[in-house]
Amino acid sequence: MSYAEPSRKQRWLAGAAVLIVVALLAVELFFPESPVSEIVRIVDANYIRSVLRLTVPIAFAALGGIFAEKSGVINIGLEGLLIISAFTSVAVAGTISGGNPTQLQLWIGFVAAVLASVLFALLFAVVCIEFKADQIIAGLAVWLIALGLAPFASKVIWGQVNSPPVATLNNFDLLVAEANPPVVMMLVSVPAAWYVLNRTAFGRWIEASGENPKALDTVGVDVRKVRYSGVLLSGFFSGLGGAGLALGRVGQFIGGGTTMVNGRGWIGITAYLFGNYNPLGAFGASFLFASLDALQIRLQQLGYSVPSELIGVIPYVTVIVVLAFVGRTRIPDAAGDHYESGEE
Amino acid sequence: MSDSSGDGRDAPDDGSESWQTRADRALARLVDASAAERILISFAALALSVVVGAFIILVSGWVATCQSPFFALGGVGSFCYDPVSVYRVMLVGAAWPPYNFAITLKETTLLLFTGLSVAVAFRAGMFNIGTQGQLVLGALGTAMSVLWVAPFVPVGVLGGLVLIAVGLLVGALVGGLWGAIPGALKAYADANEVITTIMLNFVASGVAFTLVSEVFKDPQSQTVQTRSIPGFAQLQAVFFDSTVFSMLALVGALALVAGIYWMLNGTSFGYDLRTSGVQPEAAEYGGVDSKRMMVSSMGVSGALAGLGGAVYVLMVASRWQTGIPSLGFDGITVSILAGNNPLGVVPAALLFGALKTGSLAIEFQLAVPKQLVGVLRGLIILFIAMPEFFRMVGARFRFGDERPTVATDGAGETTVGVDETATGAGETTDGTTAGDEGGDER
Repeated sequence: MSYAEPSRKQRWLAGAAVLIVVALLAVELFFPESPVSEIVRIVDANYIRSVLRLTVPIAFAALGGIFAEKSGVINIGLEGLLIISAFTSVAVAGTISGGNPTQLQLWIGFVAAVLASVLFALLFAVVCIEFKADQIIAGLAVWLIALGLAPFASKVIWGQVNSPPVATLNNFDLLVAEANPPVVMMLVSVPAAWYVLNRTAFGRWIEASGENPKALDTVGVDVRKVRYSGVLLSGFFSGLGGAGLALGRVGQFIGGGTTMVNGRGWIGITAYLFGNYNPLGAFGASFLFASLDALQIRLQQLGYSVPSELIGVIPYVTVIVVLAFVGRTRIPDAAGDHYESGEE
Repeated sequence: MSDSSGDGRDAPDDGSESWQTRADRALARLVDASAAERILISFAALALSVVVGAFIILVSGWVATCQSPFFALGGVGSFCYDPVSVYRVMLVGAAWPPYNFAITLKETTLLLFTGLSVAVAFRAGMFNIGTQGQLVLGALGTAMSVLWVAPFVPVGVLGGLVLIAVGLLVGALVGGLWGAIPGALKAYADANEVITTIMLNFVASGVAFTLVSEVFKDPQSQTVQTRSIPGFAQLQAVFFDSTVFSMLALVGALALVAGIYWMLNGTSFGYDLRTSGVQPEAAEYGGVDSKRMMVSSMGVSGALAGLGGAVYVLMVASRWQTGIPSLGFDGITVSILAGNNPLGVVPAALLFGALKTGSLAIEFQLAVPKQLVGVLRGLIILFIAMPEFFRMVGARFRFGDERPTVATDGAGETTVGVDETATGAGETTDGTTAGDEGGDER
């Protein structure tokens, strides 16, 4: 497919190298007195666990984005879907329990959040597929609606934009270690998504729907249905990501500023672009972005007097650097286009 | 661009010239023909947002608990908020008392800058979602430059003029440079500007916060903010007795609207900018360096956002402080509502200025959260994104059988003319559709 361009692996390696260099340079820049060895010592099992938890919303958003965009619908509203599900999970769990949810009630909130995210994605799908909306503007609208709606509803329910804290989902024992439920879901979803996309008929339909919808139509598969499933899957995965963030790690909904999601949906988009629409690659990129985030948290815990806002900027700068170096990823041919079936 | 009636110097290049004239005409037709439809769609989207918003108000009033619900239904529950009175308070609160009207005009002034910023980028075929970041850094540049220069100028009107000029200039410069970054990244590294501008928003607020908290912080203050700029450097209220609104700024912003309109429609730079937005390939063929155009149009866009930040500091806050309102994101809505037309930005900014002031009134008077405006903002964008929806509804319910009647009003001289006008109108609409899609493709 790509002749003059570097192969996927080369690109991946180049990107990873850039990432590591940037991270190390940043560290060197901020703490010239600290040896890198001290940073390396940060990386232990606890660190990996914390990175995995931070990966959850990014990776799920990325998985969802892959399904939508491969089917031909660019969904830049992923950030909004994460916000909606993070809010819904806490709101439902908090409301049905009267403020102090049990594990079962947390799980009900979790499921409700995924449903809410899927419903929002359905709205987006209808707007894009039936009413031929500009996908970029409609995706922007999904984000802005969520950005307004979640704090609005928070104020209606709790009288302030932040929810009171709730419990988080219990870890369960998995073989030798404790496992965080959303992390486990993620570790299962990533290979599952890869399998579905690369080894099943449905995966081939998704691929064809984004690359050559006419061919798909010709062999008798309904392009509309495939695209609907792609977008709904993006809602499903984002729902898991948002609820996983709120109930799996934070235990609260924070609606101030850019909300607790704080750009993770956007980073998810970059993660799958970086991973070249491959779920495994997208997961790797999400993991790298999350590890930068975790590094920032850990450095603060270690008591370095570094302005946290500045370190907080590193993942976003990395995204920009990566986009600039990796540059164009080949988006599906028909992504962003509306498809009109010849015969009705 | 020199037109074909110019002197002989341009004549030899006949092919290129006729292409240019043709493209010019096509572009003009596209803008003119779509104007009416765009206005219709904007109004329809507004109306639909009001309806859906009313539904959201009802539902949230049903969820909320209150002393005296406006309406209770056995078996269903009680509703705290009355949509009609919410909208009434919102509209009245935007204009009365006069203090509120000054707030509305303040918001309008600021939104004119961010709306223009988004519109200019849009016209060049670029999505500038980074207006917020450009504004935040522009504001910081303004605050810092005014504070630095202030000791060297005489206290008084003259010194104030110098400081304001310096502040506006630096704000525009910083915003412009920050805006040019995603332009350059798109031009030379093919990085999607939607993503980079959003990322740069996060970077801008983080960098600005760090700079102020670590270096430029006001030692007297607990919160992260710079020292206050001297009073004589603040834009003075002329008309309303208000500390946050200056008629000078509004007049300046309106002059800027006229200037940008002229730039887009009366200069060769504007022509190149619009052509590369609508038809990049044709623009390249016509000799436009599209890469440089990306950088410069984003630079202009960022400079406008930076000016907004400068005015925010010089007129409203008198310092840089955390929690700068989301004027940049509102600018996106303003521009999209205005069909990305600089002149349309004026009513759209006024409407959003009114809505924002009204939202304070509904929170104060009715205890309805002011974030409602954020929801309406998103809804408006969503509905404007789907013109096809309104076309379908229109075709089904109204225009399908009433179009001849509408045409009669316009050209009632001959019966034949009516038919022709009707078909002509239909064709124009179709042409617009095709043109719009071509323009949105990227």
